[in-house]
Amino acid sequence: MEQKVLEIINNIRATKDLAPVASLGNEDRLRDDLGLTSFDLAELTVNIEAEFDIDIFEDGLVNTVGEIYEKLQK
Amino acid sequence: MNILVTGCSRGVGLKICEVLLAQGHTVYGVARSYTDEFKGLEAAYPGRLFFKSIDLASSGNVRETVFKEFITNKVQLDGFVNNAAMAYDDIITNLNVERLEEMFAVNVFTPMMLTKYAIRHMLLHKNKGSIVHISSISAHTGYKGLAMYASSKGALEAFSKNTAREWGALGIRSNVVVPGFMETAMSATLTDDQKDRIYKRTSLKAATSVESVAETVAFLLSEKAVSITGQNINVDNGTI
Repeated sequence: MEQKVLEIINNIRATKDLAPVASLGNEDRLRDDLGLTSFDLAELTVNIEAEFDIDIFEDGLVNTVGEIYEKLQK
Repeated sequence: MNILVTGCSRGVGLKICEVLLAQGHTVYGVARSYTDEFKGLEAAYPGRLFFKSIDLASSGNVRETVFKEFITNKVQLDGFVNNAAMAYDDIITNLNVERLEEMFAVNVFTPMMLTKYAIRHMLLHKNKGSIVHISSISAHTGYKGLAMYASSKGALEAFSKNTAREWGALGIRSNVVVPGFMETAMSATLTDDQKDRIYKRTSLKAATSVESVAETVAFLLSEKAVSITGQNINVDNGTI
């Protein structure tokens, strides 16, 4: 699961000409550390939903990688 | 193109399906009732017209009913036509909140939720889709008894304008077609005298052509309209 999230985030970073990240930490902030805008987060959400059938933004904002993992493990 | 059309079973929705099919597109229609007219279109265009019966008063489950069970992630959605609507006619002093809520669910809340998932679908497929809402001239001119209905259409127009602004950077367009009064089931309860008074307020002195409305929708969905977004296009015989 974590590998797939990393892949999705790196795919989005690639479209913005940002270098891929080698790994993700639970504390990594999606906006400030990973450089994702609200539109990128929308793309992240739909790709995660397509993969895991879970809408991570359904009940409020998600700020860190750890919060994504939490939603996916529920 | 693959197009989702709500309220596809009769009137303008049915005509929109007919025009899109004639242009070679594939149409995913949703409505409450599966009419003989729609079945006739299915027979004429086998494999390019699909139907799902959905009660659009239930705004909360459209992700499931429309996007998981009908337009799956395998389908690239190029356009969404929000045509389904219900009328609630009465003067304001008789306003009933349950009926108002039911109408807003069908005319505003469900279309907003469908737009949410249509845009998500477009993000997933990275395609520049086009959204077209069907409004009503009553939102602009005012007619006795249509305050509640017209206000639901006004809400849609504001939603479309903001959709265009918010998602334009990704190439997703949103427009509104504003028809004048047409001879459809929606206006069937009006008397001939009422209709005549309405038509007198138009430059062309007649009912708006359903075909002209449908053709305008098809144009806004097409590449020909690539530079048109955030607009309300009146197809109303020049209502004054």
